[in-house]
Amino acid sequence: MKSVRIIIFFLLLLIVAFLSLAGRCFYLQYSRSGHYYSASTKQQLQKPQRGVILDCRGRVLAASNKIQTIFAEPRIIKDAKSISTKLAPIVNIGAQEICKLITESKNPGFAKIKLGAGANQCSAAGKIYGIGVQSNWERHYPMGPLTAHIVGFTSADNQGLDGTELQYNKELSGSAGQNIFFADASRRPIRLKQQNSVLTDGVGIILTLDTTIQQFARAELLNQYESIGAESAMAIVAEPETGAILALVSLPDFDPNDIRSADPNNFRNRAISDQFEPGSILKPIAAAIAIDAGVVGLDEKIFCEWGHYRGRGFGRIGEYGNHEFGDLTVREILVHSSNIGMAKIGQKLGKDKLYSGMKHFGFGKKTRVDLPGEVGGLLRPVQKWTGYSVTRIPFGQEISVTAIQLVRAFCILANGGHPIRPFLVKAMVDNDGRIIKLKRPSPAVGFVISPEVAQWIITDAMVGVVNEGTGKRAKLEKWRVFGKTGTANIAKSDGGGYDDDAYVASFIAGAPAEEPAAIVLVSIRKPNIKLGKGYTGGTVAAPVAAAILEKTLNYLGVPHNLSQNVAAF
Amino acid sequence: MVTRTKDNSLPDYIAMAVIILMAIGTVFVFSAGSNIGRELDLQRFYDFAVLRQILFFPLAVIVMYIASRFDYRRFRLAAGWLKSPVGYLLVFSIALLILVLFPQFAPEINRARRWFRIPAGPITVSFQPSELAKWAVIFFLTAFCDKFSADIKLYWRRFIPACLIIAVVVGLIITEDFGTAALISLLALLMLIIAGVKLWHIATLLPFGAIAFFAALIRSPARKMRIIAFLNPEKWADSAAYQANQSLIALGSGGLWGRGLGRGICKYGHLPADTTDFIFAIIGEELGFVGTAAVIGLFIVFVWLGILVVVRCRDRFGQLLAGGIVLTIATQAALNIGVVTVVLPTKGIPLPFVSAGGTSMLLSAAAVGVLINIAKQSSKEPLEDNE
Repeated sequence: MKSVRIIIFFLLLLIVAFLSLAGRCFYLQYSRSGHYYSASTKQQLQKPQRGVILDCRGRVLAASNKIQTIFAEPRIIKDAKSISTKLAPIVNIGAQEICKLITESKNPGFAKIKLGAGANQCSAAGKIYGIGVQSNWERHYPMGPLTAHIVGFTSADNQGLDGTELQYNKELSGSAGQNIFFADASRRPIRLKQQNSVLTDGVGIILTLDTTIQQFARAELLNQYESIGAESAMAIVAEPETGAILALVSLPDFDPNDIRSADPNNFRNRAISDQFEPGSILKPIAAAIAIDAGVVGLDEKIFCEWGHYRGRGFGRIGEYGNHEFGDLTVREILVHSSNIGMAKIGQKLGKDKLYSGMKHFGFGKKTRVDLPGEVGGLLRPVQKWTGYSVTRIPFGQEISVTAIQLVRAFCILANGGHPIRPFLVKAMVDNDGRIIKLKRPSPAVGFVISPEVAQWIITDAMVGVVNEGTGKRAKLEKWRVFGKTGTANIAKSDGGGYDDDAYVASFIAGAPAEEPAAIVLVSIRKPNIKLGKGYTGGTVAAPVAAAILEKTLNYLGVPHNLSQNVAAF
Repeated sequence: MVTRTKDNSLPDYIAMAVIILMAIGTVFVFSAGSNIGRELDLQRFYDFAVLRQILFFPLAVIVMYIASRFDYRRFRLAAGWLKSPVGYLLVFSIALLILVLFPQFAPEINRARRWFRIPAGPITVSFQPSELAKWAVIFFLTAFCDKFSADIKLYWRRFIPACLIIAVVVGLIITEDFGTAALISLLALLMLIIAGVKLWHIATLLPFGAIAFFAALIRSPARKMRIIAFLNPEKWADSAAYQANQSLIALGSGGLWGRGLGRGICKYGHLPADTTDFIFAIIGEELGFVGTAAVIGLFIVFVWLGILVVVRCRDRFGQLLAGGIVLTIATQAALNIGVVTVVLPTKGIPLPFVSAGGTSMLLSAAAVGVLINIAKQSSKEPLEDNE
């Protein structure tokens, strides 16, 4: 009877095995069905050409080229040796090696012989019976690392994985799903599937980006980034009137032509995905909100407590560099970057107005720029504010922002108060170069703050910062520059106060002040203080911003508005 | 001599399950073998797997019926070594296995010598001796274990000779067909365990088994590649794991209800061996989970009926033989489905009753015939000579 029991045990085990195989089938055919269905459709399709990505002057940032693959069809080859010897001189591969490729191929319809073959090779190889030529698309990025974070990159099967390639993957891909017939592996048609639809190539995308300006920005930033040993750095150049992004650099970067050897950490576009406490660079925004709300007059003197301000509910506030200021006007507060002055302005304004003003300038929410991976920064809801919040936010603490959010806020100031949305894609074009869709956001309606206040902040206070205050290094000969520094301590990761050796040095600059053509934000994270080359926004970021701005304005041909003054000196 | 009692419907159920499986197989071999490029030339119809299968189906049913009329006790060795057909069967299949290694007798197909091609008038009959050897080993081992019942525990006098016979058969097959050799060793091992061999006896074989396995692996780079590809299928999707990957695509794209009978597209050149080892994937593609579950369900029913036969059978030989037959067919089916669903690395094992292939189908049918005979006699009154 023992044998019977063992037999039954084995057979029950087999039943269990069958049940688990049925479970496996259910998993494959139910849960994973969609995946395999699309895989099965894909191998019946002719692939469309992926659209190009161009900059605003038509320079190619990403394009797909056809590469030819010479392959053998093992199942119809009777004599692999003679075919190999015929093919060997054409493709410059040893006959033995080819023979091996043919005989050992597991796919009876396809054995890859040579990738990226030339036209002569292809036409000669195609004449041999059993040898075929297949064309495939390969993505190229002629600008390399220069536009890596904006353009992004694709996977081996031409799916966008990052940047514009990912954001507009659907448009760039075109539609292969509408191909006409099923074919068997020998590419003989089996039956018509959809007669009315045709294969359409992907559309081209034209960016607002200007590669020349991008080149200026990257060269200047990279130089500074390396010389001061910073952890990361970013620069954005934008057109204030529209919000069009002319350049966007995030360092460290990578070469999209060689993503396999790149460090995946560098794929992150820090300009939209890094949030940080901005520091003083936020002061002009808070001041503008206060003036617009009418709680502070332009000539009103605010007592700055000789550098020591403390009180119940908001702790102690000091000045940067231990300055001791007395009575200052709003303009002087911004020019000298007084924390206490800003704290008092915040108190005058009150929680609700400060919060709604900040919201209107777009903090605490994504800018919806057309790139993937954007974060929204952090502006806590007003219910959670303490006495600390209302005194700290005006000088850029207790709030986290992204570089792109800062650019948007200063674009609003610089264009006279119109709300804008930063954008990167100008238009989409078909293969004949016809524009099929304009992507420019609809023109702004209404005002975030009154044009007079915005203009005053720009032409009076922020020009003062550059001419008399902390931003002197951003001064340009030919144009009147407005700007603001920001040097923010990075909070310790354990939540206990700030790290004295770690800073984010930022500078926002724009010119000409009367009618701004471009604004530049430079933000450098953790300059190496030990190198002794400075770490403040005014010393490390301002010169970079000024250099980028000068080259950009020259390149754009913006009229010099200081030439008369210079001549008068 | 064989009298059926009225309440014993077990044989009918077994025949029914198996015939349904064969019918499904024939339909799908026909579907998977369809080829729009070639026209069917009825003069040479035997060359087409599709049409051949239509011939094999009724033939297999006839073979099954004939085998079920043959009293299974005649396979016993109890009466003497020369009185039972199992000894002759074993010697005959070993002889064929040796013959098939000579190029004069057997052509090389897919870089292996596994088939005889026997010209018979206008047609050429292929015959795969390793399939016969598999059944010969199972039947012989059963008879051997039955003859020596408790003596099988004797290591040198009983266990080792049994193992040597298995080793000869497996050794002849292993160079040309690793999968079948491994399957035969596994089944033989299970049979010995069932017969009551001491486990430590089997443990002494493990080193040899391990050496044989690694030797086979090292000698064939393609085999090594298959295992590497099995562990990392996406990476080798175009080369070594091509078949596995295509199999998953065929299965998965069927979904719950399938594309519809005859509407699959993977059979058009994408999935190699679609009528033989990978027929299950085509069933999955065309009938979906409903179809695969039905096939698996039929095999479960078959195993369950097998258990009933074993439980109702009164003599030890019948129990061992019924167990061996059901175990062989069901293990093979589970391995095949495991390969198709990529739970196991690719191995050339056909799905019993369903895959195209005459040798396998006819021999399995004969084995089931024997099983039916055991089932028929199991409900009878205890035999007088019951030990």
